[in-house]
This record gives sequence, C-alpha cells and structure tokens, in this order.
Amino acid sequence: MTGTLTIFRREMGQYFANPVSYFIAAAFLLVTGFFFIDDLTRSVTINAVNPAAVPEFLSFGMIFFAPVITMRMLAEEAREGTMELLLTAPVNDLAIVLGKFLSAWAYYSILLLITIAYQIIYIQNDSIQPDYGITVSAYIGIWLYGGACLAVGLAFSALTENQIVAGFLSMIFLLAMWLGDNIGNIAANIELANVIRQLTLQGHFSTSFAAGILRGEDVVYYVGIIGIALFIAIQLVESRRWR
Amino acid sequence: MIEVKNLTKQYGTFTAIDHISFEAKPGEILGILGPNGAGKTTTMRILTGYMPPTSGQATIAGYDVVQDSFKARQHVGYMPERVPLYPDMTVQEYVAFWARLRGVSNVKKQVDAALERVQLKERRHSLVRNLSKGLKQRLGLAQALVHNPPVIILDEPTIGIDPKQVIEVRQSVRDLAHDHTVLFSTHILSEAEQVCDRVLIINQGRIVAQGKPEELRQQLHPMDDIYIHVSGAGKEKTERILKSIIGVDHIEARGAGYILYAKPGVDLRPHTLKTITQEGLNLLEMRPVAVTLEDIFLQIVEKEGEK
Repeated sequence: MTGTLTIFRREMGQYFANPVSYFIAAAFLLVTGFFFIDDLTRSVTINAVNPAAVPEFLSFGMIFFAPVITMRMLAEEAREGTMELLLTAPVNDLAIVLGKFLSAWAYYSILLLITIAYQIIYIQNDSIQPDYGITVSAYIGIWLYGGACLAVGLAFSALTENQIVAGFLSMIFLLAMWLGDNIGNIAANIELANVIRQLTLQGHFSTSFAAGILRGEDVVYYVGIIGIALFIAIQLVESRRWR
Repeated sequence: MIEVKNLTKQYGTFTAIDHISFEAKPGEILGILGPNGAGKTTTMRILTGYMPPTSGQATIAGYDVVQDSFKARQHVGYMPERVPLYPDMTVQEYVAFWARLRGVSNVKKQVDAALERVQLKERRHSLVRNLSKGLKQRLGLAQALVHNPPVIILDEPTIGIDPKQVIEVRQSVRDLAHDHTVLFSTHILSEAEQVCDRVLIINQGRIVAQGKPEELRQQLHPMDDIYIHVSGAGKEKTERILKSIIGVDHIEARGAGYILYAKPGVDLRPHTLKTITQEGLNLLEMRPVAVTLEDIFLQIVEKEGEK
C-alpha cells in the first residue's frame, strides 16, 4: 500500500512538473471546448443542447488521449533502467502498476473536472434547460470509459521499451475496440451483432450512459477491462524478471 | 552478511553463472572482478532480488533472496551499472522517493544523512538532469544507502567518469565499509586492488580465484621477471648475451631495453649482473617488472582457456 502511494505521488508530481502534461491538458480542453461551443451554437437554431456532448466526443477522443497519457509510464522506466531499481525495491509488481494507473486516472479525472465548467455555463443560462440526469450519467460513464482506455494504454506501455511503439499499438487496439461497434451495427446476423456490441467500448456507453441510463453491466464491463488490462500489465512487468 | 551457495543462472541454453559459492562478512568490501560478460551483473541481479536463480541459494543478512525476497530487498542497497535516474526530479525528491519506497520511517533525516555522506547537500534542489556524470554517480550511491542497508551492491560504480571523480567514488566506497558490507564489481583490476579487502575473479560464469589481492599476487605469480636496459653492443649481440644468462626462459624487447622472463623459481638478478659485467656491457637500468592483478588475471583466464 505504501508502495502504491509512493509511486502514485511521484507520478502526480511528474504531471505537475512536466511541460508535456500541460500540453496534453491544453489540447484536451481545446478540443472538448470546441465540441461544447459547437453544440451550444447549434442549440440556438437547430436542436436542444446535448448535455452529453463533451463525454460523447471523449468516447472517441480518449482513443488518442489515453495512449498519449500512458505510453511513457512503464516504457520509460524500462528504457531508463529505473525499472531495475523498482523491481529490487521491497514493493510488489502490483503496487508499481496500480500506482501508475491510479495516477493516470487521477490526472484524467482532473481534466474531466475542468470540463465541468461547460456545464456551469448551461446552469448560468436560464434559456437552456438540459437534463442534468444525463449530464451526471454521461460523466460517470466517460470517467469509467477513460479509466479502461488508460489501463489498456498502460498494458501496452509495459509491453515495450519504446514509448512511440507503445502509444501507437494502444491507439490501434483502442480504435479496433471502438470501431467494433460499427461492425456490430452493420452485421446482418442480429445475434452476432449483439455479441460484438457487448464487447466494444462504445456499445456500453453510447446507448446507456450517454442516454442517462445507469446499468450495472456497463460498469462491470469497464471495471472488467481495467482489471484485465492491469493484470496483463503486471504479468508483463513480472516477466522482466525472467528474461 | 552475504552467502551464496552453488548459484547458477541459465538464460535458455547459455549458462551465465555456473555453481558459484562465496560469502562476505560484515564490514568487508568484496570485489568481483571479471571481463565483460563474465557474470558479474547477473550475480548482482540475483542478490538484489531482481531475478531468481535457476538453482542454488543466496542469502542477504540471513534472508533468502527467493523465499524471503521482500525482507532481503529491504536489507540491500543497489546501484546498477547505468545509474537509473528520473531527470525531472530534484536531487532531494529523488532520494526521498527511494527512501519512501523502501519503507524508511524518518525520511527527511535519512535523506539528509545520505546527501551529506555523498556531499550532494548543497545541490539538493538541483534537477537531476543538470548534474554532471560524476555527481549522478554519487546520487546513485545516495539512493543505495538512504535506507541504511547492511549490504550495498555496486555494479561498476566508476565506469565513465573522470579520474578525479573515480578517486572520490572509491573513497566513498571505502568509507561505507565501516558499517556496511559492500559488494563491488569492476573490470579494472588495479581498482579492486585499491578498494577491496578481498577479491573474487570470475570468468565465464565461474570463480577462478579468490583471496586478498596481495595473496593472489603471491600465489599466482611467484616468478621474478626483470626489465633491463644495457648499452655497449649491437642488437644481435645484446640479445644473444641476454638469452645466455642462466635461468632466463625467453626475452622480449620492450621500449629501449628487454624484459627477461625467468624460469620458475629462479632469481635472475645475480646471474644477470655477473654475465653483463663479464661480457663488458654497460648496465643502464635494471628493475623488477611490477606484477599487477592485470597479469594475474590474464594468466588465470589463459589457463582457463587451455583447459
């Protein structure tokens, strides 16, 4: 536990000390801000505001943001040789991976919290009356969804010493898990289509969380992805001892 | 403090270390000497709990490195060959991070003590990335001793730094020996001679010799070769005369003079002097060839190769 906390603290320190994390944050807020403004302007003429506009964009955006956030985390330790020292410290591999994952998730949570500012603009404006239930459920959903993407990114970071390779592979993997939803939609066999949809990232978000529906199975899905990805990451870290 | 019994590590079919056994007592500086790829780093990685041995046993302060890995890891400080650093942290943060990770209770005090010990206190707020190579090496040392472990393992700590810093690092290692057992690897033999109480020489994964540096020197190199520089005759004549000296095995031109290699157990000096005066040559210089661990090492390794 102390090990996890120590690693978590160091990683959080890195986010605040490293200019790259500010660039990532700036890009994150710029793009989500754009989607918010777009939704807001359209609400004047075309349709009512979509309270899930930002989370819905992020369900696609995290395919790119998650790998950028996580790609260096374990790959860099391996390349710089600090992994060797970590593995000889009295902490287990679970503590190392968990500390890293929780810090990435915390960083993402901070970014997500900043986007709540958009919701405040809604509240301030009497002419817009969004359904706050949808807002809350979409935010809970995208928080879990992001956690799953980050866990996948971390697993790929454990796989290789090269950050770029780690980032690229996790982007491809996440994109495939995201596109799976479209394949599910066009599959002729309805039962097969349902199975595919159940496996994809979007299938557990777009029709439930984003529509204001909180379902246990969706939470289990994202938590399950986090668990599996972290398990793989731990095994990959441990495998360094056997090479 | 360190006990190793029949330790073996295989990478696939390649045997990196082959049934090595040794021990180090408290307060001792034990040097592991060997060429690159001899198995020094592998041995150290097993002792630090980085990877398990294929077979055999190793204990640190009484804790088995496999069975009691956590306890063993708490009792060892390790500095790998390439000092692993987090460039974006300050010196103090870096040392404190490792202190916390190793469960140090009074982090601030221990970090201060470690930085004091390696003389990095005035650089405590510098970013790690801005340190010179020698200072990074010292920071690596601070990290290895911040939790005050009874055993400190240093993998080639003097590689790639300038001569002045090498001396400083060697001095720090000597200072550590008062209250730590130090395992120190190097492939520079004179360094082992200066720093270590006892030396293990390993080659191709096996211990080929061990003992105090001076013992090794006597044990393995009893011959008295001499360097001689004479004048008064041509090259051919000089060589003929030198070869004729009783007890000379063979000669070799070196610089302006020659090295006379003695047959085992022969003291060349009296015969040499006599012959040279008889032949009417002028003696300009005569001195024993200094036997270094370097020579010992080459001898052993060559012997190994012949087997």
